[in-house]
Amino acid sequence: MLRLIWQEIKFRRNGIIGWSLGLCFFPLVYIGIYPSVADQMAGFADLEIYQAMGMSLGTFSDWVGSILVVFMPLIAAVYGLINGTGTLASEEEDGRLEMMVTLPLPRWQIVTAKAIALAVASLVMFAVVAVVSLLVFLAIESQITTDLTGLDVALAVLVSWPLVFAMGMISLFLAAFCANRRTAGVIAAAILIVSYFGSNLAASTSALEPFEPLFLFTYLDASGAAVVAGQSPGDTLVLITIGLVAFGLALLFFQRRNLTVGAWPWQRASVT
Amino acid sequence: MSENVIETEDLTVYYGKHRGIKDVNLTVEKGEAFGFLGPNGAGKTTTQRVLLDVIRPTAGRATMFGLDCREHGVALRRRIGYLPGELALYKDMKADQFFKMYEYLRGPNGAAGYWRELAQRLDLDTSRKIGNFSRGNKQKVGIVAAFMSRPELLILDEPTGGLDPLVQQTVMEMVREVIADGRTVFFSSHILPEVQAVCDRVGIIRDGRLVTTQRVEELIAARLKRLTLVFADLPPEGAFALDGVVEMERTEKSVILEVRESLPQVLALAAQYGIEDIETHSISLEEIFLEYYGKGNGGNHA
Repeated sequence: MLRLIWQEIKFRRNGIIGWSLGLCFFPLVYIGIYPSVADQMAGFADLEIYQAMGMSLGTFSDWVGSILVVFMPLIAAVYGLINGTGTLASEEEDGRLEMMVTLPLPRWQIVTAKAIALAVASLVMFAVVAVVSLLVFLAIESQITTDLTGLDVALAVLVSWPLVFAMGMISLFLAAFCANRRTAGVIAAAILIVSYFGSNLAASTSALEPFEPLFLFTYLDASGAAVVAGQSPGDTLVLITIGLVAFGLALLFFQRRNLTVGAWPWQRASVT
Repeated sequence: MSENVIETEDLTVYYGKHRGIKDVNLTVEKGEAFGFLGPNGAGKTTTQRVLLDVIRPTAGRATMFGLDCREHGVALRRRIGYLPGELALYKDMKADQFFKMYEYLRGPNGAAGYWRELAQRLDLDTSRKIGNFSRGNKQKVGIVAAFMSRPELLILDEPTGGLDPLVQQTVMEMVREVIADGRTVFFSSHILPEVQAVCDRVGIIRDGRLVTTQRVEELIAARLKRLTLVFADLPPEGAFALDGVVEMERTEKSVILEVRESLPQVLALAAQYGIEDIETHSISLEEIFLEYYGKGNGGNHA
Protein backbone atom coordinates (compact mmCIF):
# COMPACT_ATOMS: atom_id res chain seq x y z
CA MET A 1 0.00 0.00 0.00
CA LEU A 2 2.79 2.41 0.92
CA ARG A 3 4.51 1.60 -2.37
CA LEU A 4 1.37 2.57 -4.25
CA ILE A 5 0.86 5.79 -2.28
CA TRP A 6 4.47 6.78 -2.82
CA GLN A 7 4.15 6.08 -6.53
CA GLU A 8 0.97 8.13 -6.79
CA ILE A 9 2.62 11.04 -5.00
CA LYS A 10 5.58 10.77 -7.39
CA PHE A 11 3.15 10.99 -10.34
CA ARG A 12 1.87 14.26 -8.87
CA ARG A 13 5.32 15.72 -8.26
CA ASN A 14 5.21 18.19 -11.14
CA GLY A 15 1.63 19.14 -10.35
CA ILE A 16 2.50 19.82 -6.72
CA ILE A 17 5.38 22.09 -7.74
CA GLY A 18 3.41 23.91 -10.43
CA TRP A 19 0.26 24.40 -8.41
CA SER A 20 2.20 25.43 -5.28
CA LEU A 21 4.00 28.12 -7.28
CA GLY A 22 0.74 29.23 -8.87
CA LEU A 23 -1.11 29.42 -5.56
CA CYS A 24 1.75 31.43 -4.03
CA PHE A 25 0.63 34.16 -6.43
CA PHE A 26 -2.15 35.00 -3.92
CA PRO A 27 0.03 35.86 -0.89
CA LEU A 28 2.88 37.26 -2.98
CA VAL A 29 0.72 39.64 -4.98
CA TYR A 30 -2.48 40.25 -3.05
CA ILE A 31 -1.04 40.25 0.48
CA GLY A 32 2.17 41.91 -0.74
CA ILE A 33 0.34 44.89 -2.23
CA TYR A 34 -1.99 45.38 0.73
CA PRO A 35 -0.04 48.28 2.32
CA SER A 36 -0.37 50.32 -0.86
CA VAL A 37 -4.10 49.58 -1.48
CA ALA A 38 -5.39 49.34 2.09
CA ASP A 39 -7.12 52.74 2.11
CA GLN A 40 -8.79 52.21 -1.27
CA MET A 41 -9.98 48.73 -0.32
CA ALA A 42 -11.59 49.98 2.87
CA GLY A 43 -13.71 52.25 0.67
CA PHE A 44 -15.07 49.20 -1.25
CA ALA A 45 -16.00 47.30 1.85
CA ASP A 46 -19.75 47.78 1.50
CA LEU A 47 -20.12 47.07 -2.22
CA GLU A 48 -22.68 44.30 -2.82
CA ILE A 49 -20.73 42.81 -5.68
CA TYR A 50 -17.90 41.99 -3.29
CA GLN A 51 -20.34 40.62 -0.76
CA ALA A 52 -21.82 38.35 -3.43
CA MET A 53 -18.32 37.05 -4.04
CA GLY A 54 -17.82 36.41 -0.35
CA MET A 55 -15.35 39.27 -0.03
CA SER A 56 -15.05 41.66 2.82
CA LEU A 57 -12.38 44.32 2.54
CA GLY A 58 -12.61 46.58 5.56
CA THR A 59 -9.55 45.42 7.50
CA PHE A 60 -6.40 43.45 6.86
CA SER A 61 -8.04 40.43 8.52
CA ASP A 62 -10.99 40.74 6.12
CA TRP A 63 -8.59 41.05 3.22
CA VAL A 64 -6.69 37.92 4.28
CA GLY A 65 -10.01 36.10 4.65
CA SER A 66 -11.18 37.13 1.18
CA ILE A 67 -7.93 36.27 -0.58
CA LEU A 68 -6.50 33.33 1.34
CA VAL A 69 -9.67 31.71 2.69
CA VAL A 70 -11.91 32.16 -0.37
CA PHE A 71 -10.06 32.77 -3.63
CA MET A 72 -6.98 30.68 -3.01
CA PRO A 73 -8.97 27.60 -1.84
CA LEU A 74 -11.41 28.14 -4.73
CA ILE A 75 -8.55 27.87 -7.22
CA ALA A 76 -6.97 25.03 -5.24
CA ALA A 77 -10.33 23.24 -5.39
CA VAL A 78 -9.95 23.25 -9.17
CA TYR A 79 -6.79 21.18 -8.61
CA GLY A 80 -8.88 18.79 -6.50
CA LEU A 81 -11.45 18.65 -9.28
CA ILE A 82 -8.95 18.03 -12.08
CA ASN A 83 -6.94 15.55 -10.06
CA GLY A 84 -9.94 13.77 -8.59
CA THR A 85 -11.62 13.16 -11.93
CA GLY A 86 -8.32 12.66 -13.73
CA THR A 87 -6.84 9.95 -11.57
CA LEU A 88 -9.55 7.38 -12.25
CA ALA A 89 -11.69 8.47 -15.18
CA SER A 90 -8.98 9.80 -17.42
CA GLU A 91 -6.60 6.92 -16.68
CA GLU A 92 -9.46 4.58 -17.48
CA GLU A 93 -10.25 6.37 -20.73
CA ASP A 94 -6.69 6.39 -21.99
CA GLY A 95 -6.06 2.79 -20.90
CA ARG A 96 -3.39 3.34 -18.23
CA LEU A 97 -5.74 2.12 -15.51
CA GLU A 98 -5.86 -1.31 -17.14
CA MET A 99 -2.11 -1.70 -16.59
CA MET A 100 -2.57 -0.74 -12.95
CA VAL A 101 -5.58 -2.91 -12.10
CA THR A 102 -3.97 -5.98 -13.68
CA LEU A 103 -1.10 -5.75 -11.20
CA PRO A 104 -1.51 -7.77 -8.00
CA LEU A 105 -3.12 -4.88 -6.15
CA PRO A 106 -6.62 -4.81 -4.64
CA ARG A 107 -8.87 -2.17 -6.12
CA TRP A 108 -9.53 -0.53 -2.77
CA GLN A 109 -5.80 0.07 -2.43
CA ILE A 110 -5.65 1.74 -5.84
CA VAL A 111 -8.47 4.16 -4.96
CA THR A 112 -7.17 4.74 -1.44
CA ALA A 113 -3.65 5.45 -2.69
CA LYS A 114 -5.01 7.97 -5.19
CA ALA A 115 -7.17 9.62 -2.51
CA ILE A 116 -4.29 9.82 -0.04
CA ALA A 117 -1.93 11.13 -2.73
CA LEU A 118 -4.48 13.78 -3.68
CA ALA A 119 -4.93 14.79 -0.04
CA VAL A 120 -1.17 14.87 0.59
CA ALA A 121 -0.47 16.80 -2.64
CA SER A 122 -3.05 19.47 -1.79
CA LEU A 123 -1.87 19.62 1.82
CA VAL A 124 1.71 20.18 0.65
CA MET A 125 0.47 23.02 -1.59
CA PHE A 126 -1.37 24.61 1.32
CA ALA A 127 1.70 24.23 3.52
CA VAL A 128 3.84 25.98 0.89
CA VAL A 129 1.27 28.77 0.53
CA ALA A 130 1.05 29.06 4.34
CA VAL A 131 4.82 29.46 4.64
CA VAL A 132 4.94 32.00 1.81
CA SER A 133 2.00 33.89 3.35
CA LEU A 134 3.84 33.99 6.66
CA LEU A 135 6.97 35.36 4.99
CA VAL A 136 5.02 37.98 3.03
CA PHE A 137 3.23 39.02 6.21
CA LEU A 138 6.52 39.43 8.03
CA ALA A 139 7.76 41.57 5.14
CA ILE A 140 4.78 43.96 5.27
CA GLU A 141 3.95 43.77 8.97
CA SER A 142 5.62 47.07 9.79
CA GLN A 143 3.58 48.90 7.11
CA ILE A 144 0.10 47.83 8.27
CA THR A 145 -2.08 48.07 11.33
CA THR A 146 -3.41 44.70 12.45
CA ASP A 147 -3.75 42.45 15.47
CA LEU A 148 -2.95 39.41 13.35
CA THR A 149 0.30 37.52 13.75
CA GLY A 150 2.20 35.66 11.04
CA LEU A 151 1.02 32.40 12.57
CA ASP A 152 -2.62 33.54 12.29
CA VAL A 153 -2.14 34.15 8.56
CA ALA A 154 -0.44 30.79 8.01
CA LEU A 155 -3.14 28.97 9.98
CA ALA A 156 -5.89 30.77 8.04
CA VAL A 157 -4.45 29.18 4.90
CA LEU A 158 -4.06 25.71 6.39
CA VAL A 159 -7.55 25.49 7.92
CA SER A 160 -9.16 26.15 4.54
CA TRP A 161 -7.64 22.91 3.17
CA PRO A 162 -10.66 20.69 4.15
CA LEU A 163 -12.65 22.39 1.37
CA VAL A 164 -10.15 21.16 -1.22
CA PHE A 165 -10.15 17.73 0.39
CA ALA A 166 -13.95 17.58 0.15
CA MET A 167 -13.93 18.77 -3.48
CA GLY A 168 -11.18 16.31 -4.42
CA MET A 169 -13.02 13.35 -2.89
CA ILE A 170 -16.32 14.36 -4.52
CA SER A 171 -14.48 14.45 -7.85
CA LEU A 172 -12.90 11.06 -7.14
CA PHE A 173 -16.33 9.61 -6.42
CA LEU A 174 -17.73 11.10 -9.63
CA ALA A 175 -14.83 9.60 -11.56
CA ALA A 176 -15.60 6.19 -10.08
CA PHE A 177 -19.32 6.55 -10.74
CA CYS A 178 -19.61 8.24 -14.13
CA ALA A 179 -19.09 6.65 -17.51
CA ASN A 180 -16.44 9.11 -18.62
CA ARG A 181 -14.19 11.88 -17.42
CA ARG A 182 -16.02 14.66 -19.22
CA THR A 183 -19.29 13.96 -17.41
CA ALA A 184 -17.53 13.60 -14.07
CA GLY A 185 -15.64 16.86 -14.67
CA VAL A 186 -18.75 18.80 -15.71
CA ILE A 187 -20.71 17.65 -12.65
CA ALA A 188 -17.79 18.39 -10.32
CA ALA A 189 -17.32 21.85 -11.85
CA ALA A 190 -21.04 22.55 -11.45
CA ILE A 191 -20.86 21.54 -7.79
CA LEU A 192 -17.89 23.85 -7.23
CA ILE A 193 -19.38 26.88 -8.98
CA VAL A 194 -22.84 26.45 -7.47
CA SER A 195 -21.27 25.95 -4.03
CA TYR A 196 -19.26 29.13 -4.31
CA PHE A 197 -21.94 31.48 -5.60
CA GLY A 198 -24.78 29.65 -3.86
CA SER A 199 -23.18 30.00 -0.46
CA ASN A 200 -22.55 33.74 -0.90
CA LEU A 201 -26.00 34.41 -2.34
CA ALA A 202 -27.70 32.34 0.33
CA ALA A 203 -25.91 34.37 2.97
CA SER A 204 -27.33 37.59 1.56
CA THR A 205 -30.74 36.45 0.20
CA SER A 206 -33.33 35.19 2.65
CA ALA A 207 -35.12 33.15 -0.05
CA LEU A 208 -31.98 31.04 -0.55
CA GLU A 209 -31.18 30.71 3.12
CA PRO A 210 -32.71 27.21 3.54
CA PHE A 211 -30.31 25.91 0.88
CA GLU A 212 -27.22 27.32 2.55
CA PRO A 213 -26.21 24.03 4.24
CA LEU A 214 -26.01 22.38 0.81
CA PHE A 215 -23.09 24.50 -0.37
CA LEU A 216 -19.49 23.54 0.43
CA PHE A 217 -18.38 27.17 0.88
CA THR A 218 -20.93 27.60 3.65
CA TYR A 219 -18.52 25.65 5.82
CA LEU A 220 -15.61 28.00 5.18
CA ASP A 221 -15.84 31.27 7.06
CA ALA A 222 -13.93 33.99 5.22
CA SER A 223 -14.65 36.78 7.68
CA GLY A 224 -11.85 38.67 9.39
CA ALA A 225 -13.15 37.35 12.71
CA ALA A 226 -12.64 33.76 11.53
CA VAL A 227 -9.12 34.61 10.41
CA VAL A 228 -8.40 35.82 13.93
CA ALA A 229 -10.25 33.13 15.85
CA GLY A 230 -9.94 30.24 13.41
CA GLN A 231 -12.59 28.22 11.59
CA SER A 232 -15.44 26.62 13.49
CA PRO A 233 -14.44 23.01 14.34
CA GLY A 234 -17.99 21.94 13.45
CA ASP A 235 -17.72 23.39 9.94
CA THR A 236 -14.30 21.82 9.45
CA LEU A 237 -15.73 18.50 10.59
CA VAL A 238 -18.57 18.80 8.08
CA LEU A 239 -16.12 19.33 5.20
CA ILE A 240 -13.93 16.43 6.34
CA THR A 241 -17.02 14.22 6.70
CA ILE A 242 -18.26 15.15 3.22
CA GLY A 243 -14.81 14.21 1.89
CA LEU A 244 -14.74 10.91 3.74
CA VAL A 245 -18.26 9.96 2.66
CA ALA A 246 -17.40 10.79 -0.96
CA PHE A 247 -14.23 8.70 -0.63
CA GLY A 248 -16.27 5.81 0.78
CA LEU A 249 -18.65 6.03 -2.19
CA ALA A 250 -15.69 6.16 -4.59
CA LEU A 251 -14.34 2.96 -3.02
CA LEU A 252 -17.73 1.27 -3.23
CA PHE A 253 -18.38 2.13 -6.86
CA PHE A 254 -14.84 1.43 -8.04
CA GLN A 255 -14.86 -1.91 -6.24
CA ARG A 256 -18.07 -2.97 -7.98
CA ARG A 257 -17.63 -1.65 -11.44
CA ASN A 258 -16.41 -3.00 -14.74
CA LEU A 259 -13.36 -1.09 -15.85
CA THR A 260 -12.20 -0.09 -19.33
CA VAL A 261 -15.71 -0.14 -20.79
CA GLY A 262 -16.81 3.40 -19.93
CA ALA A 263 -20.31 2.46 -18.86
CA TRP A 264 -22.65 3.87 -16.25
CA PRO A 265 -23.31 1.65 -13.23
CA TRP A 266 -26.76 0.65 -14.49
CA GLN A 267 -25.27 -0.40 -17.84
CA ARG A 268 -22.79 -2.80 -16.25
CA ALA A 269 -23.35 -6.51 -15.82
CA SER A 270 -27.02 -6.84 -16.68
CA VAL A 271 -28.45 -9.86 -18.45
CA THR A 272 -30.85 -9.25 -21.29
CA MET B 1 -4.21 -35.93 -15.27
CA SER B 2 -3.43 -32.52 -16.72
CA GLU B 3 -3.98 -29.46 -14.59
CA ASN B 4 -6.20 -26.69 -15.91
CA VAL B 5 -4.67 -23.27 -15.53
CA ILE B 6 -7.71 -21.49 -17.00
CA GLU B 7 -11.26 -22.78 -16.88
CA THR B 8 -14.45 -20.96 -17.78
CA GLU B 9 -17.98 -22.27 -17.36
CA ASP B 10 -20.77 -20.66 -19.41
CA LEU B 11 -18.96 -17.38 -19.08
CA THR B 12 -21.21 -14.55 -20.21
CA VAL B 13 -20.69 -10.80 -20.27
CA TYR B 14 -23.21 -8.22 -21.39
CA TYR B 15 -22.48 -4.51 -21.54
CA GLY B 16 -25.99 -3.28 -20.90
CA LYS B 17 -27.85 -4.70 -23.89
CA HIS B 18 -24.71 -5.32 -25.90
CA ARG B 19 -23.24 -8.79 -26.02
CA GLY B 20 -19.65 -9.20 -24.94
CA ILE B 21 -19.33 -12.98 -24.74
CA LYS B 22 -21.95 -15.69 -24.35
CA ASP B 23 -21.62 -19.11 -22.69
CA VAL B 24 -17.91 -19.44 -23.26
CA ASN B 25 -16.54 -22.74 -21.98
CA LEU B 26 -12.84 -23.23 -22.36
CA THR B 27 -9.94 -24.81 -20.59
CA VAL B 28 -6.25 -24.07 -20.90
CA GLU B 29 -3.93 -26.70 -19.54
CA LYS B 30 -0.73 -26.13 -17.66
CA GLY B 31 2.29 -25.81 -19.92
CA GLU B 32 0.40 -25.26 -23.15
CA ALA B 33 0.18 -22.33 -25.50
CA PHE B 34 -3.45 -21.65 -26.25
CA GLY B 35 -4.31 -19.45 -29.19
CA PHE B 36 -7.52 -17.48 -28.96
CA LEU B 37 -8.62 -16.50 -32.43
CA GLY B 38 -11.27 -14.15 -33.62
CA PRO B 39 -11.76 -10.91 -35.48
CA ASN B 40 -12.10 -7.55 -33.76
CA GLY B 41 -15.14 -7.42 -31.49
CA ALA B 42 -15.55 -11.20 -31.28
CA GLY B 43 -14.96 -11.24 -27.51
CA LYS B 44 -11.26 -12.12 -27.12
CA THR B 45 -10.35 -9.07 -25.05
CA THR B 46 -13.52 -9.32 -22.98
CA THR B 47 -12.66 -12.91 -22.05
CA GLN B 48 -9.14 -11.91 -21.05
CA ARG B 49 -10.40 -8.96 -19.01
CA VAL B 50 -12.80 -11.21 -17.11
CA LEU B 51 -9.88 -13.52 -16.28
CA LEU B 52 -7.99 -10.54 -14.90
CA ASP B 53 -11.06 -9.26 -13.00
CA VAL B 54 -11.09 -6.01 -14.93
CA ILE B 55 -14.63 -6.87 -16.06
CA ARG B 56 -17.06 -8.91 -14.00
CA PRO B 57 -19.11 -11.65 -15.66
CA THR B 58 -22.85 -11.27 -16.06
CA ALA B 59 -23.20 -15.03 -15.69
CA GLY B 60 -20.99 -18.09 -15.51
CA ARG B 61 -17.66 -18.51 -13.82
CA ALA B 62 -13.98 -18.15 -14.56
CA THR B 63 -11.18 -19.76 -12.58
CA MET B 64 -7.43 -19.76 -12.89
CA PHE B 65 -5.18 -22.22 -11.08
CA GLY B 66 -8.41 -23.54 -9.55
CA LEU B 67 -9.25 -20.20 -7.92
CA ASP B 68 -12.15 -17.91 -8.73
CA CYS B 69 -10.90 -14.96 -10.78
CA ARG B 70 -12.93 -12.44 -8.84
CA GLU B 71 -12.52 -13.72 -5.29
CA HIS B 72 -8.80 -14.37 -5.61
CA GLY B 73 -7.95 -11.69 -8.14
CA VAL B 74 -4.94 -10.28 -6.30
CA ALA B 75 -3.33 -13.67 -5.60
CA LEU B 76 -3.93 -14.74 -9.21
CA ARG B 77 -2.56 -11.58 -10.77
CA ARG B 78 0.65 -12.16 -8.82
CA ARG B 79 1.12 -15.28 -10.98
CA ILE B 80 0.16 -13.64 -14.26
CA GLY B 81 1.87 -11.42 -16.80
CA TYR B 82 -0.52 -9.46 -19.01
CA LEU B 83 -0.10 -7.55 -22.21
CA PRO B 84 -3.25 -5.60 -23.09
CA GLY B 85 -4.28 -5.20 -26.70
CA GLU B 86 -4.75 -1.47 -26.30
CA LEU B 87 -1.53 -0.66 -24.57
CA ALA B 88 -1.40 2.68 -22.73
CA LEU B 89 1.70 3.73 -20.85
CA TYR B 90 2.89 6.65 -18.75
CA LYS B 91 4.33 8.87 -21.48
CA ASP B 92 6.36 11.09 -19.17
CA MET B 93 8.30 8.19 -17.71
CA LYS B 94 11.46 6.73 -19.10
CA ALA B 95 11.17 3.04 -19.91
CA ASP B 96 13.56 2.02 -17.13
CA GLN B 97 11.57 4.12 -14.62
CA PHE B 98 8.42 2.38 -15.79
CA PHE B 99 9.95 -1.10 -15.32
CA LYS B 100 11.30 -0.17 -11.89
CA MET B 101 7.86 1.14 -10.92
CA TYR B 102 6.22 -2.02 -12.21
CA GLU B 103 8.70 -4.19 -10.33
CA TYR B 104 8.21 -2.07 -7.20
CA LEU B 105 4.41 -2.32 -7.33
CA ARG B 106 4.46 -6.05 -8.05
CA GLY B 107 6.59 -6.62 -4.97
CA PRO B 108 9.49 -9.04 -4.63
CA ASN B 109 9.10 -12.16 -6.80
CA GLY B 110 12.59 -13.44 -7.43
CA ALA B 111 12.85 -11.94 -10.91
CA ALA B 112 14.37 -8.60 -9.92
CA GLY B 113 16.14 -6.90 -12.79
CA TYR B 114 15.04 -9.51 -15.36
CA TRP B 115 13.52 -6.64 -17.35
CA ARG B 116 17.02 -5.48 -18.27
CA GLU B 117 17.76 -8.80 -19.97
CA LEU B 118 14.43 -8.71 -21.81
CA ALA B 119 14.87 -5.10 -22.91
CA GLN B 120 18.34 -5.89 -24.22
CA ARG B 121 16.99 -8.87 -26.10
CA LEU B 122 14.32 -6.74 -27.75
CA ASP B 123 16.85 -3.99 -28.43
CA LEU B 124 14.87 -1.47 -26.39
CA ASP B 125 16.60 1.71 -25.24
CA THR B 126 15.24 2.04 -21.72
CA SER B 127 16.86 5.42 -21.07
CA ARG B 128 14.34 7.17 -23.36
CA LYS B 129 10.96 8.61 -22.45
CA ILE B 130 8.06 6.32 -23.40
CA GLY B 131 6.25 9.25 -24.99
CA ASN B 132 9.05 9.53 -27.55
CA PHE B 133 8.84 5.88 -28.57
CA SER B 134 7.44 4.59 -31.85
CA ARG B 135 4.44 2.26 -31.68
CA GLY B 136 6.72 -0.75 -31.99
CA ASN B 137 8.93 0.35 -29.12
CA LYS B 138 5.91 1.02 -26.93
CA GLN B 139 4.77 -2.52 -27.70
CA LYS B 140 8.20 -3.76 -26.63
CA VAL B 141 7.73 -1.97 -23.29
CA GLY B 142 4.41 -3.79 -22.86
CA ILE B 143 6.00 -7.13 -23.75
CA VAL B 144 8.85 -6.65 -21.28
CA ALA B 145 6.32 -5.64 -18.59
CA ALA B 146 4.33 -8.83 -19.23
CA PHE B 147 7.35 -11.16 -19.17
CA MET B 148 9.48 -9.44 -16.51
CA SER B 149 8.09 -11.24 -13.45
CA ARG B 150 8.61 -14.69 -15.06
CA PRO B 151 4.88 -15.37 -14.53
CA GLU B 152 3.35 -18.83 -14.44
CA LEU B 153 0.72 -17.68 -16.91
CA LEU B 154 1.11 -15.14 -19.68
CA ILE B 155 -2.00 -13.53 -21.11
CA LEU B 156 -1.07 -11.77 -24.31
CA ASP B 157 -3.51 -9.78 -26.40
CA GLU B 158 -2.16 -9.28 -29.93
CA PRO B 159 1.47 -9.35 -28.73
CA THR B 160 3.19 -8.69 -32.03
CA GLY B 161 1.06 -5.76 -33.19
CA GLY B 162 3.27 -2.95 -34.48
CA LEU B 163 6.49 -4.98 -34.32
CA ASP B 164 8.83 -5.52 -37.25
CA PRO B 165 9.24 -9.13 -38.47
CA LEU B 166 12.58 -9.64 -36.70
CA VAL B 167 11.22 -8.55 -33.35
CA GLN B 168 8.07 -10.60 -33.97
CA GLN B 169 10.32 -13.60 -34.33
CA THR B 170 12.13 -12.77 -31.08
CA VAL B 171 8.83 -12.45 -29.24
CA MET B 172 7.70 -15.81 -30.59
CA GLU B 173 10.99 -17.32 -29.38
CA MET B 174 10.35 -15.83 -25.96
CA VAL B 175 6.88 -17.41 -25.94
CA ARG B 176 8.36 -20.79 -26.92
CA GLU B 177 10.87 -20.52 -24.08
CA VAL B 178 8.06 -19.87 -21.62
CA ILE B 179 6.31 -23.02 -22.84
CA ALA B 180 9.53 -25.00 -22.70
CA ASP B 181 9.87 -23.83 -19.11
CA GLY B 182 6.53 -25.52 -18.29
CA ARG B 183 4.65 -22.26 -17.99
CA THR B 184 1.41 -21.41 -19.80
CA VAL B 185 0.51 -18.89 -22.48
CA PHE B 186 -2.98 -17.67 -23.37
CA PHE B 187 -2.49 -15.86 -26.58
CA SER B 188 -5.03 -13.91 -28.57
CA SER B 189 -4.27 -12.87 -32.08
CA HIS B 190 -5.55 -12.60 -35.57
CA ILE B 191 -2.08 -13.12 -37.06
CA LEU B 192 -2.74 -16.75 -37.72
CA PRO B 193 0.65 -18.02 -38.93
CA GLU B 194 2.23 -17.05 -35.60
CA VAL B 195 -0.55 -18.76 -33.67
CA GLN B 196 -0.06 -21.83 -35.83
CA ALA B 197 3.70 -21.70 -35.22
CA VAL B 198 3.52 -21.39 -31.44
CA CYS B 199 0.24 -22.73 -30.10
CA ASP B 200 -0.69 -26.26 -29.11
CA ARG B 201 -4.41 -25.62 -29.18
CA VAL B 202 -6.65 -22.91 -30.50
CA GLY B 203 -10.11 -21.66 -29.67
CA ILE B 204 -12.07 -19.78 -32.28
CA ILE B 205 -14.53 -17.21 -31.01
CA ARG B 206 -17.20 -15.64 -33.17
CA ASP B 207 -19.84 -13.11 -32.14
CA GLY B 208 -19.01 -13.77 -28.49
CA ARG B 209 -19.42 -17.54 -28.73
CA LEU B 210 -16.65 -20.10 -28.73
CA VAL B 211 -17.08 -21.95 -32.00
CA THR B 212 -14.46 -24.63 -31.51
CA THR B 213 -11.47 -25.60 -29.40
CA GLN B 214 -9.04 -28.11 -30.85
CA ARG B 215 -5.40 -29.00 -31.14
CA VAL B 216 -3.92 -27.09 -34.04
CA GLU B 217 -2.89 -30.21 -35.95
CA GLU B 218 -6.26 -31.89 -35.34
CA LEU B 219 -8.09 -28.81 -36.46
CA ILE B 220 -6.09 -28.73 -39.65
CA ALA B 221 -6.29 -32.50 -40.17
CA ALA B 222 -10.03 -32.63 -39.51
CA ARG B 223 -10.88 -29.92 -41.94
CA LEU B 224 -10.34 -29.45 -45.62
CA LYS B 225 -7.75 -31.28 -47.62
CA ARG B 226 -6.86 -30.09 -51.06
CA LEU B 227 -5.84 -32.85 -53.47
CA THR B 228 -4.42 -32.61 -56.96
CA LEU B 229 -5.06 -35.89 -58.79
CA VAL B 230 -3.11 -36.50 -62.01
CA PHE B 231 -4.50 -38.91 -64.60
CA ALA B 232 -3.40 -40.22 -68.01
CA ASP B 233 -7.06 -39.85 -69.12
CA LEU B 234 -9.20 -37.44 -67.16
CA PRO B 235 -12.26 -38.97 -65.47
CA PRO B 236 -15.63 -37.64 -66.66
CA GLU B 237 -17.20 -34.51 -65.17
CA GLY B 238 -18.95 -35.31 -61.92
CA ALA B 239 -16.88 -38.42 -61.27
CA PHE B 240 -16.06 -37.14 -57.77
CA ALA B 241 -19.50 -35.83 -56.92
CA LEU B 242 -19.50 -37.18 -53.37
CA ASP B 243 -20.61 -35.76 -50.04
CA GLY B 244 -18.06 -33.23 -48.74
CA VAL B 245 -16.08 -33.11 -51.97
CA VAL B 246 -15.88 -30.07 -54.21
CA GLU B 247 -14.15 -30.08 -57.57
CA MET B 248 -12.23 -26.81 -57.67
CA GLU B 249 -10.41 -26.95 -60.97
CA ARG B 250 -9.82 -29.25 -63.95
CA THR B 251 -6.82 -29.05 -66.27
CA GLU B 252 -5.75 -31.23 -69.20
CA LYS B 253 -4.31 -33.93 -66.94
CA SER B 254 -5.43 -33.16 -63.40
CA VAL B 255 -8.38 -32.52 -61.14
CA ILE B 256 -8.10 -30.38 -58.01
CA LEU B 257 -10.48 -31.34 -55.24
CA GLU B 258 -11.26 -29.91 -51.80
CA VAL B 259 -12.16 -32.84 -49.61
CA ARG B 260 -13.90 -32.46 -46.30
CA GLU B 261 -15.39 -35.98 -46.09
CA SER B 262 -15.37 -39.23 -48.13
CA LEU B 263 -11.58 -39.31 -48.57
CA PRO B 264 -11.42 -43.17 -48.87
CA GLN B 265 -14.10 -43.10 -51.59
CA VAL B 266 -12.21 -40.35 -53.45
CA LEU B 267 -9.02 -42.40 -53.37
CA ALA B 268 -10.88 -45.55 -54.49
CA LEU B 269 -12.48 -43.69 -57.40
CA ALA B 270 -9.12 -42.15 -58.34
CA ALA B 271 -7.61 -45.66 -58.44
CA GLN B 272 -10.46 -46.86 -60.71
CA TYR B 273 -9.74 -44.01 -63.14
CA GLY B 274 -6.05 -44.91 -63.29
CA ILE B 275 -4.49 -42.21 -61.17
CA GLU B 276 -0.83 -41.55 -61.99
CA ASP B 277 0.09 -39.10 -59.25
CA ILE B 278 -1.41 -37.38 -56.22
CA GLU B 279 -0.42 -34.20 -54.43
CA THR B 280 -1.86 -33.07 -51.09
CA HIS B 281 -1.79 -29.45 -49.99
CA SER B 282 -1.91 -28.60 -46.32
CA ILE B 283 -4.60 -26.12 -45.40
CA SER B 284 -3.38 -23.34 -43.18
CA LEU B 285 -5.02 -22.27 -39.97
CA GLU B 286 -5.83 -19.06 -41.73
CA GLU B 287 -7.94 -20.84 -44.32
CA ILE B 288 -9.74 -22.76 -41.58
CA PHE B 289 -10.32 -19.57 -39.65
CA LEU B 290 -11.78 -17.92 -42.72
CA GLU B 291 -13.92 -20.98 -43.30
CA TYR B 292 -15.39 -20.62 -39.81
CA TYR B 293 -16.16 -17.01 -40.40
CA GLY B 294 -17.25 -17.32 -43.96
CA LYS B 295 -19.56 -20.31 -43.73
CA GLY B 296 -21.30 -19.65 -40.44
CA ASN B 297 -20.38 -22.79 -38.50
CA GLY B 298 -21.78 -22.63 -35.03
CA GLY B 299 -21.77 -24.52 -31.77
CA ASN B 300 -19.74 -24.52 -28.66
CA HIS B 301 -17.46 -27.52 -28.62
CA ALA B 302 -15.07 -26.52 -25.84
